Amino acid sequence: MSSQTQSQAQQQSPILSLWKAYAQNTSDRLKFIDSFLVFLMISGIIQFVYCVLVTNFPFNAFLAGFASTVGQFVLTASLRSQVNPENRQEFKDVSPERAFADFVLGSIVLHFFVFNFLG
Amino acid sequence: MSRTTMLSFYTFILLIFGLASVLDAKSSSGNSVLVILDPARRPDYSIFFNGLQEKGYDLTFRAPKDEAPALIEDDIPSFAHVIFFASDKHFAKDITPQTLVQLLSSNTNLLIALGQKQNLLTSLAPEFSLILPPPGSSLVSYFPERKEPNTVVPIEVPSSSKILSSTSSPVWFSGVPFALGNNPLVFPILTAPAEGFAADSEGSTADALADAADKGGEGLWAGSQLATVAGFQALGGARAAWVGGPELFSDEFAKKEISKGVKSGNQQAAADIAAWTFQENLVLRIDSTTHHLVNTSFPKEHYTTNDIVEFVAQISRYNPSKDKWEPFSGIDDLQLEFTMLDPHIRTALPAVRGSSGKYAVTFRVPDRHGVFKFVVDYKRKGWTHLHSSTTVPVVPPRHDGYPRFLSAAWPYYVGAISTSVGFFLFSALYLAGDARETNLKKTKGGKAQ
Repeated sequence: MSSQTQSQAQQQSPILSLWKAYAQNTSDRLKFIDSFLVFLMISGIIQFVYCVLVTNFPFNAFLAGFASTVGQFVLTASLRSQVNPENRQEFKDVSPERAFADFVLGSIVLHFFVFNFLG
Repeated sequence: MSRTTMLSFYTFILLIFGLASVLDAKSSSGNSVLVILDPARRPDYSIFFNGLQEKGYDLTFRAPKDEAPALIEDDIPSFAHVIFFASDKHFAKDITPQTLVQLLSSNTNLLIALGQKQNLLTSLAPEFSLILPPPGSSLVSYFPERKEPNTVVPIEVPSSSKILSSTSSPVWFSGVPFALGNNPLVFPILTAPAEGFAADSEGSTADALADAADKGGEGLWAGSQLATVAGFQALGGARAAWVGGPELFSDEFAKKEISKGVKSGNQQAAADIAAWTFQENLVLRIDSTTHHLVNTSFPKEHYTTNDIVEFVAQISRYNPSKDKWEPFSGIDDLQLEFTMLDPHIRTALPAVRGSSGKYAVTFRVPDRHGVFKFVVDYKRKGWTHLHSSTTVPVVPPRHDGYPRFLSAAWPYYVGAISTSVGFFLFSALYLAGDARETNLKKTKGGKAQ
């Protein structure tokens, strides 16, 4: 019994330590972005499962809905990497404000196409 | 004044003659007939020829070696029908198998009687899928017992025949029987009796026939699969009748009694064969075809997939006794095909009760867009071939022709909308966080100061 809990603790420890490190070392802003990414991922997975298990008809609606989550995920992920202070050396020319403006513009264009394609 | 009355009198006379000639025409395709026959033999067929003339046909006689009148002048056939009774060996230059085929393809009907001698018909017959026995053969039958020679055979008229009147008594036949190939356009009008066979002469036996079949390798010329009269209907609508021997039409056979006191059916059969060949009988035509959406009356330029469409055909049959086309509802196996390369729909096209000559069917256009055709293709032995094809495009529904938002797709709609809403909330909170951070910095900075 005791050896089992020990081994469990050993197994969990890397994940736990990773989680602890994330909770301690990540700024609130990045955590907020990450929560939005998780939401998008769950939404995309639900749509994909519905398409596989229930129906892919109308297919254009599936493509639009799924592409909106994937596209938004990509744009948000780029925003995250650009505003991360640790990546400052990589994006010398891109200020956080500029990155957010790019993100908003890209998202508006993406949603324009998604709603055109949805019906 | 007198001149004008004279003129109107002339026009009146002309009109009368014009009407008379129209009324006389008993065939649906014209009433001029060329008979190719040795003048010396002409009296032998007087009953048949007089019968045709009484019906209103203009007979022109031409000896086989005469140069005139020409069969085809300036590429246009000079006669509506040609009777070919000559059994000579040599003919004038323009009477060749090629000209006969050309006549047939330009809608001239041919009534051809084979002779005993080999001539151009021997090489023409295979073109019609008729397989002739070895030269010199004729139909021989030892049954029923009779005083006539064995080559003069009485043949029962089949009761199911559409072309020959079934009431007529047996027909005397003397001549060459032939087997029919598998050409779908050729069919027997009068078959040989089951006891009959083709043989060299009266004295030969069935063994000689089997030997000939072995040598020739074309099968046995015996039994009721042999035809003595066969019909052929060209794709253009012209008809050709092949008869084993011209004697069937002769006065001698017409007068000859089948049994004591019973006249033979030859006169009737000869008239019937000529009536079919000259397009008096079993002549059909499609007067019109229309198509429209059900519950409307005008044809649409194109249809949408899954439309309910009605197709209507009007069919007439030629009535020789009145010389008129009359609506005809008697076809019970007419079909309509809705075709794009292959028939996507093949359905019965039944006659509409209560309106004669009208055939209609209602069907759903398939869920497939493209260029479709309404096709009526009716080919039955003996009857005129009917063919009609109407092209219509079938298009998918317009953008506003079907529901755009479906209940099945709600997860996708919710997914897309939630992403947009999430984006707005995210942007708003992100900016708010930005403002708070700057405020925090400011307050921190203030405290430090």
